[in-house]
Amino acid sequence: MKKIKITVAVILAAITLFFVGCTAKKDKVPVIGISQYGEHASLDNCREGFLLGLKEAGLTEGKDYTIDYQNASFDNATATQIANNFSSKNVALMCAIATPSATACYAAAEDKNIPVVFNAITDPGEAGLTTGNITGVSDKLPVDPQLELIRKLQPDAKTIGIIYTTSEPNSVSAIAEYKEKAGNYGFTIEAIGVADQASVTQAADTLINKNVDCITNLTDNNVVGVLPSILEKTNAAGIPVYGSEIEQVKKGCVASAGIDYIELGKMAGKLAAEILKGEAKASDLPYETVTEYNTYINSDAATAMGITVPSDVAAKAIECK
Amino acid sequence: MLELKHISKIYNPGLVTEMCLFDDFNFTVNDGEFVSVIGSNGSGKTSMLNIICGSIPVNAGEVLINGKCVNKKKDFERYAYIGRVYQNPSMGNCPNMTILENMSLADNKGKPFGLSFALNKKRYDFYREQLASLGLGLEDKLHVKMGSLSGGQRQAVSLIMATLTPIDFLILDEHTAALDPKTAEIIMELTDKVVKQKKLTAVMVTHNLRYAVEYGTRLVMMDRGNIILDKAGEDKKNTSIDDILEIFNKISIECGN
Amino acid sequence: MLDLIISTLTQGFIYALLSFGVYITYKILDFPDLTVDGSFPLGAAVTAVLLVKGVNPFLSLLVSLLVGALAGFVTGFIHVRLKVRDLLSGIITMTALFSINLQIAGSNLSIAREIDTVFTSPVTMSVFGSMSLILRKLIVSAIIMIVCKVLLDLYFKTKNGFLLRAVGDNSVLVTSLSKDKGRIKIIGLVISNALVALSGAVACQEQRSFSATMGTGQIVFGLAAVIIGTTLFRRVSFIKGTTAVIFGSVIYKACIQIAISLGLPANLLKLITAVLFLLILVLGNFQKGSVKKNVRA
Repeated sequence: MKKIKITVAVILAAITLFFVGCTAKKDKVPVIGISQYGEHASLDNCREGFLLGLKEAGLTEGKDYTIDYQNASFDNATATQIANNFSSKNVALMCAIATPSATACYAAAEDKNIPVVFNAITDPGEAGLTTGNITGVSDKLPVDPQLELIRKLQPDAKTIGIIYTTSEPNSVSAIAEYKEKAGNYGFTIEAIGVADQASVTQAADTLINKNVDCITNLTDNNVVGVLPSILEKTNAAGIPVYGSEIEQVKKGCVASAGIDYIELGKMAGKLAAEILKGEAKASDLPYETVTEYNTYINSDAATAMGITVPSDVAAKAIECK
Repeated sequence: MLELKHISKIYNPGLVTEMCLFDDFNFTVNDGEFVSVIGSNGSGKTSMLNIICGSIPVNAGEVLINGKCVNKKKDFERYAYIGRVYQNPSMGNCPNMTILENMSLADNKGKPFGLSFALNKKRYDFYREQLASLGLGLEDKLHVKMGSLSGGQRQAVSLIMATLTPIDFLILDEHTAALDPKTAEIIMELTDKVVKQKKLTAVMVTHNLRYAVEYGTRLVMMDRGNIILDKAGEDKKNTSIDDILEIFNKISIECGN
Repeated sequence: MLDLIISTLTQGFIYALLSFGVYITYKILDFPDLTVDGSFPLGAAVTAVLLVKGVNPFLSLLVSLLVGALAGFVTGFIHVRLKVRDLLSGIITMTALFSINLQIAGSNLSIAREIDTVFTSPVTMSVFGSMSLILRKLIVSAIIMIVCKVLLDLYFKTKNGFLLRAVGDNSVLVTSLSKDKGRIKIIGLVISNALVALSGAVACQEQRSFSATMGTGQIVFGLAAVIIGTTLFRRVSFIKGTTAVIFGSVIYKACIQIAISLGLPANLLKLITAVLFLLILVLGNFQKGSVKKNVRA
């Protein structure tokens, strides 16, 4: 009986001591809390770009700011706790990468009105992140350039297949845009919605079975997560797959008119620098959208699919292998 | 009155393992009788209890309680008339609840079990009185969890719980089989006392021939789904263990045991 | 840094509601109910949609609670009346709820700051308006949690509550008491999932968002909270099961917060929680070993 009481007491005491201990240390240098939804190539690039952006704006780490980086391993409850952690530490600014982290940070920042700079959100309006002490950068897909690129690489193609997660607001709005604009380039869209990652490869089978001329990706985490297995199937069927950003082309997609996430991150970093220097308030800064896109080509993949890259495209394109 | 009429029970019908246990089986228990049922393993004793209680369905025939057919009634509905004590002492009560809580559960049998508080202080004396009649000192352990009692103590409480509210029949399913000889003796004596005190109609299945002879008002022996011996009143009083044993041995030889 | 304690307690209290639900199914009914992963976001989806439509935040909690109860009923019905195994019936409902939740909410939803939640509604402000939002979140979630705990404790003392405890303990006895044990199981699942959905609804109002995947792994959290709580306080008889569960929930959330604050590698977070979980279980087992009688109980 005594032992148990002691165990309980020790555990409770340890927890209390820990929290009390935290109170002791106080940094004078403003802290930037970076909450990233999970570890993922494009999201990592966002963070890297963000840090570069801060430096390019003339701030020095350690002198002007320090970084507290956390990632939620794609778990919403953890994202909430990370945001609460930042809020209670009174960070000077929260940088939130991907939508779940952004909504969590925004909710946690409400009381103290801590500025939030978000990153990699396709439609901040849809996500309800446009009013208040918040700003950031949107990674809205360059739908027109992508369709144009596909037309140039596959002049005879008629249907484009797309797989998307129905619960992702980003994907849903991207699909709507694709459907709206496809006609301008002489395409029809064959979209298949899935509920979870497990159904993605089955959806790929369906698309192959429907004889689509090519498949293009969104920035849909469920789909991108199993890209290698999609490519395995499409390569066997001889159907080219277009990526939505550089990392996918590196993994074997034919080409992409995509956002450079490092550039995107830099834009967010510069916004954050403005806020930290006191030059502007997050509430006054509208969110920014990337206007320039790069063309990424994986020539090996293109050759394997029997696609010849026109010289005008090749001249501008960045080769990825 | 409890009646089984023209009961037929076939296990695994249509399979290679098909086994017909009862074919036109008839059995009646009159009010006030205390019937001891004996028989070798597989003779159909437990199946008969399960048919009465509705735990297993019948292929043909009728089960009547007080003249009314209860074939369509589910097991829990039949237990409105029946109290049952099982072979396993932990079947008749809740091990993680206290004696008091168990008694109150039993006390509310037949009532709606709504959202009023279960423990009623006014009933405590009644519970103590009932437990005191066991003579095991349990009336002072009301707040002890059932699970910490011995098998015999738990079986004794199970007996009290099964008979706490008015019931038409008490079913005793080899209820002393899992106890040591001394405890079994005590439980058997208690059973007899309770049945007499509350004037219950009871059916007891047992492997103990001495109990079957010494206790009860009627003795029934079953073999392969048939009643081969049925003695009541004076006839039963004049039956000795040796008589029974002789018949028992005869059946066993026929079975090749 | 007091803020950190406050927000951790708030999380612990909100998720304690979920843990109460798991306590009922896992500890009392002995029913491994996986509906939780679906009914938690169900509560969130319902409350998110209602809030966006301008419904009173307290009313939306009540509606979420009722919808969660319905989910529990479905699982119970599938198990008891259609005779599907317990684990499977929960999985069936959980899977169906994934689609239903999205059908209700459309897609992932967020609730704008202008919309009042239970933490900012006029009623709350009139009483706790002078406090900071963080403190208000703590107080309001504590009140909701304590009300549920007290009601639950009272229910366990009623005749119906006794039957519920008896079903998990020894269902044969319930049949002997001439009661349909199936019906009692359904009642238990209804109460449990109502609490889980309420937890989801409060969590949704607190973080101002609903996402279809927010339920993933909640059953694991619930089980951990229940087991940590009941193991730590196993031998302290005056502490009720529900109280132990609140401690379990807070301790679990505190462990995650500590891991975050210490700056432990984020990808190892789940591993660290698993180790902590194991540690507490093992500690509990040593306690158990010292008292022989209790091994089974």
